[in-house]
Amino acid sequence: MHETSIVNGIFRTLEQEFDTEKLHSMKGIYVKVGILSNIEPRLLMNAYEAFLLSNPNYHNTQLHVEMVDLKIQCESCDHITDVKNYRFLCDKCQKPSKNVIQGEEMLIHKVEFDD
Amino acid sequence: MSIDKSTKAARGTVQCENTNINLLKANDFVADIIRKEMASKNTLLVNITSSAGSGKTTLMQKTAEKLKDKIKIAVMVGDLETERDAERIRETGIQALQIVTGGICHLEAQMIHQVLDQFDLPSIDLLFIENVGNLVCPASFDLGEDYRVTLMATTEGDDKPKKYPRMFLTSDMMLVSKSDLLPYLPFSVEAVTKDAREVNHELEVIQMSSISEEGIDEWCDWLVEKVKQKQQA
Repeated sequence: MHETSIVNGIFRTLEQEFDTEKLHSMKGIYVKVGILSNIEPRLLMNAYEAFLLSNPNYHNTQLHVEMVDLKIQCESCDHITDVKNYRFLCDKCQKPSKNVIQGEEMLIHKVEFDD
Repeated sequence: MSIDKSTKAARGTVQCENTNINLLKANDFVADIIRKEMASKNTLLVNITSSAGSGKTTLMQKTAEKLKDKIKIAVMVGDLETERDAERIRETGIQALQIVTGGICHLEAQMIHQVLDQFDLPSIDLLFIENVGNLVCPASFDLGEDYRVTLMATTEGDDKPKKYPRMFLTSDMMLVSKSDLLPYLPFSVEAVTKDAREVNHELEVIQMSSISEEGIDEWCDWLVEKVKQKQQA
């Protein structure tokens, strides 16, 4: 269910950023989603297909989804740790940290247009 | 909201624009409006999340009963269907408004903003949002709240924080609810607290039961303290 909201969010956001004419020449939308974003790529693609059925203007537009791993940066020693098994602990100094620098995002990081 | 539209001319056969647009930009924009509105009215906004059936509405009833003579409380409650929860909360004598999401599994900032004018905010000290019962989607949607509180019922099993990490990472408080059932369940408050704090080391934890009233005073004191801080800010 929430994937449908996300797809609507993608198009609402793009409609604010770009002109309608330009949007209809859009070839690809590249999104990055962190593993903490609770987005399941397969379900996002399904929701996207469903959106296209009722919005034929976008039927040439592909959605590309990239998953991003979880990383924290320690506030004490600046060390960057790949978080495994949701243990939010610095590898180096073992201090707990909530300073997530990667893995929470839901971003449109690239939009591709046809000439 | 005024956003400059791109007028860049196309170059070559394929033109790319590298951006960093948050997919929830529209939600977060409205959440900020709510946050400013609440700050100007000095109303504390608390978002209550949990799985379905972990005791959110019962906690709202108990909290209203305990605090209604001390501070003015109101509740907005989200569900897929029915007015049942709002009716239960109204029986305690406080204002409660039902948001029927019609199948959507979470509340979004826009839904909160649309009903805010139904409340006389300057007279309300504490406004609860009782979210849709679900530990997944509600975690991603900022509603402009001051604090997020997650109920974790002893009947759900003590393995939830690692299964639904984002909810526990974004919460300020975990209420281990239905503690009166602990003698009958293989549930360890210590284990659930340890797991939750591996995800979020700043998480506050209260063990409570709306039936036996264990922890209810501690919970109410926490709320009253946060209301005071908000009003002094």
